[in-house]
Amino acid sequence: MMIRRYILVQIMISSAFAEDGVRVEFNRDIRPIFAKHCTACHGGVKEAAGVSFIYRAKALAPAKSGLRPIVPFKPAESELVGRLRSRDPDEVMPKPKHGPPLPEADIALIERWIAQGAEWQDHWSFVAPVDPVAPAVSDGKWPSAPLDRFILNRLDREKLKPSPEASVGEWLRRVSFDLTGIPPSPEDFANFITAAAKDPKSARAAVVDRLLASLKFGERWASVWLDLARYSDTYGFEKDPRRDIWPYRDWVIRAFNADMPYDQFTIEQLAGDLLPNATADQRLATAFHRNTQTNTEGGTDDEEFRVAAVIDRISTTWTTWQATTFGCVQCHSHPYDPIEHEEFYQFFAFFNGTEDCDQDNDFPRMKVAEDPAATDEASRLELQMRIIREQLNQPGHALATTTADWKSFRPDVFAPSHGTLEIAPDGIIRSHGTLPTGNMHKVSGSAIPFTALRLRILTDSDDSKKWPERGSLVSKFEVNEIDQVGAVTRVEMKEVFVDHLGDPMAPEPSGNVGGFPKLEGPRWFVFVPAKEFKPRAGTKLEIRMIQDGETAGQQATQVRQFAIDCSNNPEWIDLVNQSARVAEWKAMGKMDASYQKIRGVKVPVMVDRAPRETRLFARGNRLVKDRVLSPGVPKLLAGSAATQGMNRLDMARWIASRENPLTARVMVNRLWSQLFGSGIVLTTEDFGTSGTPPSHPELLDHLAVRLEDHFHWSVKSMLREMVLSSTYRQTHKASKALLEKDPFNQLLSRGPRNRLSAEMVRDQALAVAGLLSPKMYGSPVFPPQPDGVWNSVYSESRWVESTGEDRYRRAIYTYSKRTSGYPSMLMFDAPNRDCCSARRVISNTPLQALVTLNDPVFIEAAKGFAKRMVTNRGDLAEQIAYGVQLVTQQVPTPEMLDDLVSLYNASVMDYESHPAEAVKLAESPAAAAFVLIASTILNLDSALTR
Amino acid sequence: MNSESFARLQHSELEHLTRRHFLSKCTTGLGAMWLSGMTGRAWGEPNRVVRDFANPMAPSLPHFAAKAKRVIYLHMAGAPSQHELFDYKPELQILHGKECPKEFLEGKQFAFIQGVPKMLGPQFPFRQYGQSGAWVSDRLPRFTSVVDDVCFIKSMHTDQFNHGPAQLLVHTGSQNLGAASIGAWATYGLGSENQNLPGFVVLTSGGKNPDAGKSVWGAGYLPSVYQGVQCRSEGEPVLYLRNPEGISGSMRRRSLDVLDRLNQKIAEDVGDEETVTRIAQYEMAYRMQMHATDAFELKQEPDSIHQLYGTQPGKESFANNCLLARRLAERGVRYIQLFHWGWDSHGASASEALNKGFNERCKEVDRPMTALLKDLKQRGLLEDTLVVWGGEFGRTPMLENRGGNDNPFVGRDHNPGGFTLWMAGGGVKPGISFGETDPIGYEAIKNKVSIHDLHATMMHLMGFDHEKFTYLSQGAEQRLSNITKPNSKVVSGILG
Repeated sequence: MMIRRYILVQIMISSAFAEDGVRVEFNRDIRPIFAKHCTACHGGVKEAAGVSFIYRAKALAPAKSGLRPIVPFKPAESELVGRLRSRDPDEVMPKPKHGPPLPEADIALIERWIAQGAEWQDHWSFVAPVDPVAPAVSDGKWPSAPLDRFILNRLDREKLKPSPEASVGEWLRRVSFDLTGIPPSPEDFANFITAAAKDPKSARAAVVDRLLASLKFGERWASVWLDLARYSDTYGFEKDPRRDIWPYRDWVIRAFNADMPYDQFTIEQLAGDLLPNATADQRLATAFHRNTQTNTEGGTDDEEFRVAAVIDRISTTWTTWQATTFGCVQCHSHPYDPIEHEEFYQFFAFFNGTEDCDQDNDFPRMKVAEDPAATDEASRLELQMRIIREQLNQPGHALATTTADWKSFRPDVFAPSHGTLEIAPDGIIRSHGTLPTGNMHKVSGSAIPFTALRLRILTDSDDSKKWPERGSLVSKFEVNEIDQVGAVTRVEMKEVFVDHLGDPMAPEPSGNVGGFPKLEGPRWFVFVPAKEFKPRAGTKLEIRMIQDGETAGQQATQVRQFAIDCSNNPEWIDLVNQSARVAEWKAMGKMDASYQKIRGVKVPVMVDRAPRETRLFARGNRLVKDRVLSPGVPKLLAGSAATQGMNRLDMARWIASRENPLTARVMVNRLWSQLFGSGIVLTTEDFGTSGTPPSHPELLDHLAVRLEDHFHWSVKSMLREMVLSSTYRQTHKASKALLEKDPFNQLLSRGPRNRLSAEMVRDQALAVAGLLSPKMYGSPVFPPQPDGVWNSVYSESRWVESTGEDRYRRAIYTYSKRTSGYPSMLMFDAPNRDCCSARRVISNTPLQALVTLNDPVFIEAAKGFAKRMVTNRGDLAEQIAYGVQLVTQQVPTPEMLDDLVSLYNASVMDYESHPAEAVKLAESPAAAAFVLIASTILNLDSALTR
Repeated sequence: MNSESFARLQHSELEHLTRRHFLSKCTTGLGAMWLSGMTGRAWGEPNRVVRDFANPMAPSLPHFAAKAKRVIYLHMAGAPSQHELFDYKPELQILHGKECPKEFLEGKQFAFIQGVPKMLGPQFPFRQYGQSGAWVSDRLPRFTSVVDDVCFIKSMHTDQFNHGPAQLLVHTGSQNLGAASIGAWATYGLGSENQNLPGFVVLTSGGKNPDAGKSVWGAGYLPSVYQGVQCRSEGEPVLYLRNPEGISGSMRRRSLDVLDRLNQKIAEDVGDEETVTRIAQYEMAYRMQMHATDAFELKQEPDSIHQLYGTQPGKESFANNCLLARRLAERGVRYIQLFHWGWDSHGASASEALNKGFNERCKEVDRPMTALLKDLKQRGLLEDTLVVWGGEFGRTPMLENRGGNDNPFVGRDHNPGGFTLWMAGGGVKPGISFGETDPIGYEAIKNKVSIHDLHATMMHLMGFDHEKFTYLSQGAEQRLSNITKPNSKVVSGILG
C-alpha cells in the first residue's frame, strides 16, 4: 500500500520534464533538484562558500567569491548554471566525489526557471490550504462525498474503475473496528443486514451514528492520541515508579466521546491552565505535557532532566500538531526547511516557565477526586489558595524593595558543623570544605534590634550563563538570643516573604527557603517576627541554618554563599499583624483543611511560575549558553501571530488557528491513515521537505479545509464523512487484474484491509469470548502476563494480577510501564511510550503468532468463545459457522467449514484417547476440541485484519 | 551527507515498507519496475540496506567483508571498577588515604561525591599474565589464562555519569530514549543466519533488568521487528513459546495445517500478500517452538562443558547465559546481549561494595566468561565472533563519601572519564592493551576511545561503514555512531 507514494514521486519528478514554454514551478520542479543535489552542502546546516538554497534572498546574494549563484532572468550570469555545466573537476557542481553531474534536462529546467525570474515558493505544507474545486469525474453517481471525487478523478486518469461495494459484513467489520475498536455483535450484524436490505444508505448512516455515539468510540481513538501523548502509567528511567496520570487518559476518552472540537482539544492540552477561569478539566488536559519522563535515579541532576522534559515537549508539540521535525533545530538551523536555530529556543521559552523540575513526587500536581463531583471543588481550592498565597506575599515583596534601611548583620563567631565560614567586607559569608547533607551553618554576633531579617542566598558565579547552580536550601532557619551565661531564647518568626513563589518546597517562617532543586539565581527571603526584636543588654544573636535538603538524585543542597541583613522599618511588624491578613491566613488554613479532606489522586499538570531565563544552547548543549531569547513561533509559520510577548496560551491558539497551515492537514491525514492504513502523506510525522509528498494533494487540502470550515473541527463529523464515503465502502478484494494495475492500492481503487492494532487484537478476543468488561475509566489494570517479565532495578513493584472484571478490561486500561511494556501488545507494534510516536509501523512476525496461539489470555478467550459456539443453536457445522461469523462477519464457505469440522472430529478422537489432556482445556473431549476450533478461528487471517 | 541523501529522506520509509510488496509472491511487473528504478541511477545507493519485510531477518550482506559474523556482548551493569580489575596504577596506591587534590575536583560533577573526598588505592594485588603481559588483579584468576586472546581498551570514556542514560548511550549511541540498539542495527543490516530463532537475543542473569529498561535492546526508530527478544534460561526461553496445556504438539500441527489451508484460501480470495506472509510467520513460529526449545536445553551439554562454565541447568545465572550464548552463536543468532548485574560498587551497602559484593560479582563472571572464550576458540567460532565485555562508565580513583559523609563500606563513585573494556575475536587484535588513563586511572589520556568510536569500530568489524549505514528518522540520517558526534571514528589500532 505504501508504494503509491513512491509512484507519485516518480510522476512528480517526471513532470519536471515539462515541455518548453510551460511555466516552471519552484516547488514542483526546482526544489526537489536543490534538495536532492545541493542543500546537503548549501543548506541550513552547511553553507559551503556562503551559498545556500533554502532562502531566495540568500541564493540571490553574492557568495564568498563575490559571484551571485542566481541572477533572476539571467541564466548566463548565474554562477549556478555555470557550475552545473562546467567540465572542470574543480569547478563542477556537485563535486565529483559527492555525486555525478546533473542530467542535462534538470540543468535546462533550472535555466528556464531563472530565465522566468527564479520565483521561489514556500514548501507546500507551509502554505495554508485552499479548498480546491472538486474535479470532474466519469461517473457522477459514484461519489457520495466530495472526497470521492478526488479519488475517482485520479482513478479516471489512470483508467481504473473503483471496486464494487464491500459486502455488508466486510464494511460493518471495518467500520466497527475503525470507529470503536471492537467487532460488531451478532445482533448488530443481524440488524444491519435487515436494515440494509431495505435502505442501505440510511442503514449505513444509522450504524455510523450508533458507533459514533458509542462510548467505545472514545476508547478506540484515545489509543491513537495516547501514542502521541507518550502516555504511560510510570515515570520512566531506572526505578520507573508508578505515576497516577490515568485521569488524563480518561480526559482524552471523554473528549473524543464528547466530540470536543479539535481546536479546543489542542488549546486545552497545551495551555488549559492558562485559560481564564480554567476549570478542573482544562487543567487536567495539560497533563498531556506531563507525560514526559521523570528521572528518580540516584546521582542525577534534576536540571538535566527538567531540560530534557522541556525539549521533549517541544518535539512532541511539533510532531503531534505540525508534523515537522523540529528536533534538528535544537543544534543548528534546519537542514532543509527555513527554520532557524534560534527559533527552537524561542519555542523552548514557552515551556521554560513551568514549576515542574524533575521531582520525585512529580510536583506540581492537581487533585482529581475519587468522587468526580468533588474535583471541581478541589481544583477551585487549589487555585484559590495559590491566589491568596500570592496576595499574602505581595505586600512583603513590595516592602522589601521600599525598605531602605537594610544593614548587614556581621557575625563574629562562626561555628559551622562542617567546613569553614568566612565573611567578606561586603557582609557576604562564604563556606569552604565538604558540606554533607544535614550540615549546619551556625553564626553569631552582637545582638541588635530588628523588625525583619533578610536572608540572601547567593550564587557562586555572577554570570547568569552559568546558572542554574547546584541547589542551595536552608531547611531550618533558627534565630536565637543567647545571654552571657549561654541561655538560649528562640526568636520566633511569624512570617516569611519571598522574592517569588513556585518552588517545589513551600517557604515557611521556620525554613525551607532557598533554591531547590537548583539555585537559578540569587534569592532573598525576609523573616518577620510578631513584634520587634529588642535584645537584652550584652546578648548575642545566633543564626542556625540547617541544610537537610537532598535532591531526588541524592545531591546535597548546601548553602555556599549567603548574607544576612536587618531592618528596623516598623512597617514589617504592622504588616504581619494586620487583622485582615491574620484572617486571610486563617481562611487559607480552613480551605486547606477542606482540601485535604477531599480524597483522590494527585495528577501532574502544567503550572506556570516566574519565567526562567531562556538562552540559546550553543550547538544544543545546555551547559553552553548563549544569548537570551524571548518566546516566539517560527517566522515561517507565524502568519499574523504576534512576534513578541506571546505566552504558552498564545502559542496554543496559534497552533489551533485556521491560519496555521499544518494543524488541520496533519489531523485529517492522521484520521485518514487510521482508516485507510496509510496517510495521504505517508510520513504522518513529517510534512516537511524530508517527508513524503502527498499522494492526493488536493484531497488533503480539501479535507483540511472541510474539517476547519465545514465541520468546525468536529472529528466525529469528519470521520462520519470518511467512513460513509464510496471510497471507504469499496471491497478490499483485489482481482489479479487490479493487482497488476494498482498493486499497492496507492490510488484507493479498492477498500482498505489493515491488520488489527495491538489493542484490537486483545479486545476482539475478549469480546467474542463474552468476557470483555464494559467498565470504563479509572486506575490501570493488570491482566495476566508471564512471570518474570517485570524486573526493574531498585523497584519493589510487582505485577499483581487483577481479579474480577478488571482482568477483562479493554487494552487501553492495561498498566503501561515504560521500561517493561505489556508483552503481547508490544509484539503487535504498540510503542513503549518512551516518546511521542506518530505512526505504528505494522509488522508481521512469528512472535505475534505465538501470542495469539499460546498466550494464556488468548486461550482463556478461546475457552469463552468455544462456550458461545457450543451454546448456539444448530448442529456442529452451524455452531462453527456461527463462530466464524462472530469473529469475522463472514459466512464461511462450505470448504472452510468442512476443514474446521474435520479438525474438530479429529481432535475429539484425539482427546477421547487422551482424556487427561482434554480436562486441561475443558470439561469433556468435545468441549476441548471446541476450544481448539475457537483458537484456530481467532488465528484466521481475517480475524486479525479489518 | 552525500548528494543522494534527499532521495533517501523521502524514501527511507518505503525502503522497508515496500520491499515486502516488491518481493513477495504477488509482485507484478509494475512493482518490479519501480524496484529497478530504485536501484538504478536516480536512487542508486550502493550502501543502502535493502530489507524484505516478508522476511525481515533474511541474511544479507554488509558493505564489505565482515570479520565478525556475530556478536556476544557481555554488559556488566552498574559499571565495574577498572581500578580493581585491569587498570593497575601504582601511583594511586601512593596517594591512598590522602585528600583528593583540588585540580581533580574542579569543574567536575559527581553522582554522589561531595566536597573533598579521599583517594582510594587499588584494593587488590595485580600481576602481569600471558605473553602479552596483561595486568589483571587477583579477582579474576581464571581469566588470566585467556588474556592473550583479549584486546583491552583502557582508554574508554563517556559523557554520562548516571546508569540509565549511560547504558542507553552504550547500547544505542544516544543517552536519550528513541535510538536503535546495536543489536537492532546488526539484525537490520545483516539479518540472521537462523530463521528459527530470534536474530537478536537478550539474556539477563538473575537480578534485574538494566537501569535503562528494555530500551537498551529496543529498535528505536528502526522497525520494531529488529528489537531484541528477551529470552530466559528459566521457564519458557521465549515468551508464549510453549503450546498451552491441553494442546499437544501433534494437535497444534494439525490445527496449523487447517489454519494454513484456510488462510491460503483467504489469500486467494482477497489478494492480500500480507496473508501469505502471515502463513509463513505461523510456520516459523512453529519451527521456533522446536528450535528455541532445543537451543535452550543446556542438559544436552556434556559434563566437561558444565565443568568449564560452572553451569547449573535450570537456574538463571550468568554462567548459564554464557553457555547459552555459545549455543546461540553456533546456531547463527546474529547478536547476543548478556547483562550481568550488581557492579555498582559505591560502598553504600554490602552488596555494592568493593570489599564485599564486588568479590561475589567477580566470582560469578570469572569462570563463565573465561569458559566462553575458550569454548568459542576450541570450536573455531572465536575468529568470527566478536565478544565485548564492559560496563557503562568507570569508577573514581576517590573513595566515595556520599552526601559528604563516609560510607559504611569501601566504594567508588561513577566516573565517565575513563574505564576499561575488552574485546576478543571477530577481527580484533588479540593480546594487546590499547590506550591509557592518567597515572591515577581517572581520565583517559592516550588513544582515547569514546562510546561512539566503539560503535564505529563494531560496525566496521561487522562489515559496515558507520557513516553510511544510516536510517532516516526525525529528518536526519541516524546512525549508531550518532550523527551529532561527527568525529566518531573506527579505532584502527585494535583491528587485527
